Amino acid sequence: MWLEYNGQPLKWQYPIGVLSDLLLGPDDLLPWNITVHFSKFPESEVYRFDSKEMVESYFMACLKEADVLKHRGQIASSMQKKDHNQLWLGLQNEKFDQFWAVNRKLMEASGDQDYFKYIPFRCYIDDGYRQKLVKPISDDNHKKTLQDLLEELFPGNKNIKVKTHGMIPPMETPLQWLSEHLSYPDNFLHLCVV
Amino acid sequence: MSEETQETVVQEATDSLQSMNIRTEPVDSSDPEHTKQKVDILLKPTGNAPIMKKKKWTVDSDKKIGWIIEFVKKYLKLEPNEKLFLYVNQTFAPSPDQVVKNLYDCYSTEGKLVLHYCKTQAWG
Repeated sequence: MWLEYNGQPLKWQYPIGVLSDLLLGPDDLLPWNITVHFSKFPESEVYRFDSKEMVESYFMACLKEADVLKHRGQIASSMQKKDHNQLWLGLQNEKFDQFWAVNRKLMEASGDQDYFKYIPFRCYIDDGYRQKLVKPISDDNHKKTLQDLLEELFPGNKNIKVKTHGMIPPMETPLQWLSEHLSYPDNFLHLCVV
Repeated sequence: MSEETQETVVQEATDSLQSMNIRTEPVDSSDPEHTKQKVDILLKPTGNAPIMKKKKWTVDSDKKIGWIIEFVKKYLKLEPNEKLFLYVNQTFAPSPDQVVKNLYDCYSTEGKLVLHYCKTQAWG
């Protein structure tokens, strides 16, 4: 089975908010009407998943990758299996408190640090997304902003704007704040170039 | 496996690589065009995975992880239903639709992206 909107197959591994930011225009009506297909799976465009466990491993892999960027992977790897289960079950059953009780540890700067090492983000452009190492503070200890991130990612291109969670955040938003408050459950910021 | 069959395996993998448009010769790093578009990856076995005679490969930076998984499976002559998992930093499994460039930009060390492969899930 696969889903389609406006001729475009929906990638199941992207958060639904990202799909909506990528595919819905200002004139599209909500609720979002999508088409369900039962044949002709678009193999070249959508990665096939054959079990719920695979979706779980995909989600956990994203969390771990984000933790590698934020804390050199030390928080996720020090967690027990039951913590990982709690994250997944909390997400799956929409139990915010259950999820957040564990996720909080991943979302804090570790030890005596005030900032993450790097900001986990994916910036969607064209058919895919870009990732790069971007620190939340500059070498002279200034808080970096969304503007700084976009300049590092697209040097020389000043007019780029991004959308996340259906809105365009102000360019002067500090990256550390953005990462702590607007990351998706997979611990990544998902920014769509508009 | 005898040396002769090993050679055949390598040759076949090389042939299939060429049919997939991948460079099999060492890349001259002084050529700016190549340093811009290709990246070096190092494939290391873990667990019970067989070793690859050639570990260091140069691939197009826009290739996806799914493509590398298929390539390693072919090189190791795994059955189509056998699984192969790739890991970055011995920590997380990158998504099959992730492009090598992103991983190289974030996780390469000393100019190489190290990818561990195994036939069963490691590191969760």
